[in-house]
Amino acid sequence: MRKDRRLHWLLLAPALILMAVMLYYPMFGTVYESFHETSFLSPDPKFAGLALYRRIVADRTFAEVVVNSIVWTFGVVLLQNILGFLTALLLNQNLPMQGVLRAIVLLPFILPGVVAAILWRFMYDPQLGLVNSLLLQTGLIENSVAWLADSRMAMASVIVAAVWKGFPFSMLIYLAALQNVDQSQIEAATLDGAGPTRRLLDVTLPAIRDVIVVNVVLTLILTFNYFDIIWVLTRGGPQSATHIFPTKIYETGFGQFRFGEAATYGVFSILVLAVLVALYAIVQGRANRRRGVA
Amino acid sequence: MKQKRSTRLVLTLMQVLLAIVVLLPFFWMVSVSLKPPTEPFAIPARLWPDHPTVGNYVSAFRPEFRTYFLNSLVVSLATVVITVTLGLLAAYSFTRAQIVAISALVGLVVLAQMFPHSAIIIPIYKMMRSADLLNTYWSLILAYVSVTLPVAIWMLRGFLLKLPAALEESAAIDGATPLRVFWDIVVPLSRPGLIATAVYVLIVTWQEFLFALSFTSTKEMRTLPVGLNDFIGQYGIRYGELMASSVMVSLPVMAVFFFLQRYFVAGITAGAVKG
Repeated sequence: MRKDRRLHWLLLAPALILMAVMLYYPMFGTVYESFHETSFLSPDPKFAGLALYRRIVADRTFAEVVVNSIVWTFGVVLLQNILGFLTALLLNQNLPMQGVLRAIVLLPFILPGVVAAILWRFMYDPQLGLVNSLLLQTGLIENSVAWLADSRMAMASVIVAAVWKGFPFSMLIYLAALQNVDQSQIEAATLDGAGPTRRLLDVTLPAIRDVIVVNVVLTLILTFNYFDIIWVLTRGGPQSATHIFPTKIYETGFGQFRFGEAATYGVFSILVLAVLVALYAIVQGRANRRRGVA
Repeated sequence: MKQKRSTRLVLTLMQVLLAIVVLLPFFWMVSVSLKPPTEPFAIPARLWPDHPTVGNYVSAFRPEFRTYFLNSLVVSLATVVITVTLGLLAAYSFTRAQIVAISALVGLVVLAQMFPHSAIIIPIYKMMRSADLLNTYWSLILAYVSVTLPVAIWMLRGFLLKLPAALEESAAIDGATPLRVFWDIVVPLSRPGLIATAVYVLIVTWQEFLFALSFTSTKEMRTLPVGLNDFIGQYGIRYGELMASSVMVSLPVMAVFFFLQRYFVAGITAGAVKG
């Protein structure tokens, strides 16, 4: 037994060491960096105390980044989960071609993020893009819209692109949950005279409630951290209309070489994440208890 | 369950609508990639090329693109092999070892899945700089293995928990060492889980953008997503070539996914639905 234990530690060691050095240590490293100032001209870190925090909170862009992050995260998560759930319901019917359709729906999910972003950048092009062409031809708009350059439209536009890319993931989870619902309960409800809507509200939704809650919190975390789509579509612009924490951190750190300020933004985003992760732990724990798993 | 004809009709229409919403951008990407240089500028935009050509693919497949492709291939394959190997070893011990600290360690693995890459990238960048690894394959491979390991361990752990214990126990009674049991029984039985994990790691690594953008500084070391992002500026208004490059970047992962879809879908949803 003792020898087994030593072997198991040996098998765990590479993964644990790598995660400690490359994931956990940098978490603390970011907090350390946030107390030190660097810039392109003076790359040696100098202790700055809380000066960077004061500077960032006083800066107008910080408030914008916070508001944008909230709009972006809730916008994408809400739409992606609703669309994902409806699609899962549709794919769970007894219709022909369901396998083919599921494969088609998964396409945006596998498409590399940068490719999806470039594709949507072109779709949104005011003159050459498909979006304006279709809307103009069907008379839904009268003049071309600069989807990504207009600060009132930019956030909505990046959200649409991200939802298109992200809803297949939610669909996949919901479809698996729907297929796990006890069919005898649905048949019993049918015999009792419940229509499709009643069956959905009374049987299906309660049965998969936990999956929905856990999946919503999980997509909140993933969306809050998502960098690729916004960076390629708008770089956080116009002005700061679509800057969220990841894009602001990258721009400050690697665009301007102000590592200290980038790390300070990083600490704020870690705090937000900590709240979301705590929420995740709570809903996952409750779901596990209800299923009777430890 | 029987449905009324009208219900079926409505559902079928919704299916068609769904397929159009998903496919229209893809259709557009392929269509523009096949248009000769002046056609993308037709206003209003035409859905299908009047004179389709593969010219854009030929000119987009230039030396730079081939370099990026090779870099992506090397980094992705190395990451898949290392992550899946380390992940399986760790998952095996996580599910078989009688160690008190195990459940706390599993908690740390789950937590690490949710770390924001942008918030930890600066200390990682500085470590890579001190180790003189910036702008090398190793900086990317190390970063990618680290960020994909937690999910890989989690997927494989879920898989190993479901393997029947009887086979391993009887082999142990016959005198097989734990390593023998691992190699002769656990590895072959884990094949579907290993494939699902490998596909997941490949999809994540092939498209990774933030680390590649921050850690590579010369064209020789760029990977496809970063190279593609550079093309936006370089190609200017040569949309045909940009779309052709996009198609070529996407095809390899799409092909892998379609052949191994079954495993991957099972692997992703098992963890998410069953906890």
